[in-house]
Amino acid sequence: MNRSMIQSAVTMGQLQSKLDLIGNNLSNSETTGYKSRSADFSSLLFQQIDNQSHEHAQVGRTTPEGVRIGAGARLGHTNLDYRQGSLQNTGRDLDVALLGDNHLFQLRVETETGPETQFTRAGNFYLNPIDNGQVLLTNSNGHPVIGEDGENIVLEEGFQGISIDQDGSILVKRGDGQAVEGELSVTEAVRPRMLEAIGDNRFRIPDGINPDGIMEDLPRGDIEMKNKTLEASNVDVSKQMTDMLMAQRAYQFNAKSISTGDQMMGLVNQLRS
Amino acid sequence: MLRGFYTAASGMMANQRMQETLSNNMSNANTPGYKADQGTMRAFPELLIEQMGSESIPVSRGLNVPVRGHVGSLNTGVYMQEAIPSFAQGDIRETGVGTDFALIQGTVPDESGSIFFNVQNEAGEERYTRNGNFTVDGEGFLTTNQGYYVLDDTGNPINTGGMEFDLSSNGTLEVDGQEIPLGLSYSPEAGSMVKEGNDLFQAAENGEPVENARENEAVEFNVRQNFLEQSNVDANRTMTEMMNTYRSFEMNQRVLKAYDQSMQKTVTEIGRIR
Repeated sequence: MNRSMIQSAVTMGQLQSKLDLIGNNLSNSETTGYKSRSADFSSLLFQQIDNQSHEHAQVGRTTPEGVRIGAGARLGHTNLDYRQGSLQNTGRDLDVALLGDNHLFQLRVETETGPETQFTRAGNFYLNPIDNGQVLLTNSNGHPVIGEDGENIVLEEGFQGISIDQDGSILVKRGDGQAVEGELSVTEAVRPRMLEAIGDNRFRIPDGINPDGIMEDLPRGDIEMKNKTLEASNVDVSKQMTDMLMAQRAYQFNAKSISTGDQMMGLVNQLRS
Repeated sequence: MLRGFYTAASGMMANQRMQETLSNNMSNANTPGYKADQGTMRAFPELLIEQMGSESIPVSRGLNVPVRGHVGSLNTGVYMQEAIPSFAQGDIRETGVGTDFALIQGTVPDESGSIFFNVQNEAGEERYTRNGNFTVDGEGFLTTNQGYYVLDDTGNPINTGGMEFDLSSNGTLEVDGQEIPLGLSYSPEAGSMVKEGNDLFQAAENGEPVENARENEAVEFNVRQNFLEQSNVDANRTMTEMMNTYRSFEMNQRVLKAYDQSMQKTVTEIGRIR
């Protein structure tokens, strides 16, 4: 087949993936704690074509022998943009927003291979009753939030008020007194690019990757959060729209290249009528 | 044989190859640091056409002696000789991503000179790239899009530990108070760099060797963090050239058809017995 058509077809497939990525970002422009994703292109392999076997016939060349023709473009790595989204005051006691870059809450998620620690930026927490008059702090999907001691945060029922302090302490009001009955655990992603997004606003360390050095526990003093607030998605809608226009135009250009290639083949076909 | 028949065919093939080059440029119009290829056409080497004949010598055995006379020279078509990468600076776009580096070329001593980031391919050999869309891998090394190590001034991979680092405009990374100069190369004759795919360039074996960009004082450059150099493909121009190439292809096809028609006449009409 005509090489130009292959190049364009490959690139169009990759542009489609870019559009998928933009579409996903736009769909999540209102998702709490969502981190936008971006991807840039990278050129594909080049093929060397020896177009002239007589070296002496090629006087005045400025490039090395042969012609190198590429095979289109593909998407390179996907970047997660961990920048802080805008903060939104909700007035709800169990909403917290992390203020530090790359800081994440830890969740305990039951998977097929047993419990696993996963990470999230979404700080909309809930209290779920467990049997013996106690409540468990969970995220919106019911996964327990991990506390400072590495255990689930369990509180005795029957309190008048609850609030989360800026260092992650959970203050519970019973009668006249107020006491810290749990502490949220916050970790920092040192190499956030290694985390795998698995949907539901959660990230995990991929299988087969040495977890050392990817996540690091944060000392109590470095934790900063704001209560009664949620971190909105950090998707920049206008940037996404611009990227979308650009991807669409690039798609059109490549489609045009395919149709030109097709017309050229049509001309070849007409040679013998 | 009708010589122009193959000349027209070579024109079609050359235009097809030109179209491939243009189409690849168009595909990479969004690839950071991509350098557009410009195809150049060249006539095939000239052939000297000779007349062939014989003269008979009036001896009793009737010997024939071959004689030759020059008719003139003829080019038997065209081919695409080169795809020359244009090393013009691409636009600079802010991405806000800390691992995106843009290399901005200042004045350089040679007109055809260009500066590159040094990276290491999977075989451990040094390669050059303009695509500064880097990332940090699981072990904390700064790598390219494809996972190739980005090299420092001494040719070693750079360990950044994590995402917390700053890049100064002279291309020095500051990691934990340590200063690591990025490896940057200067090629005085950038046309002799061979494109390898995956955004890499290789220094040609018999071309001008690349030198350390920091050691040549006449080379000025600027590296910016959070920015990316865009592709220098001009979509308008590429589209126009594509149309031009297409029409040229079409014209050659017409010539080929005209030859075919004359041959048809030769075959079917000349010498027909009615």
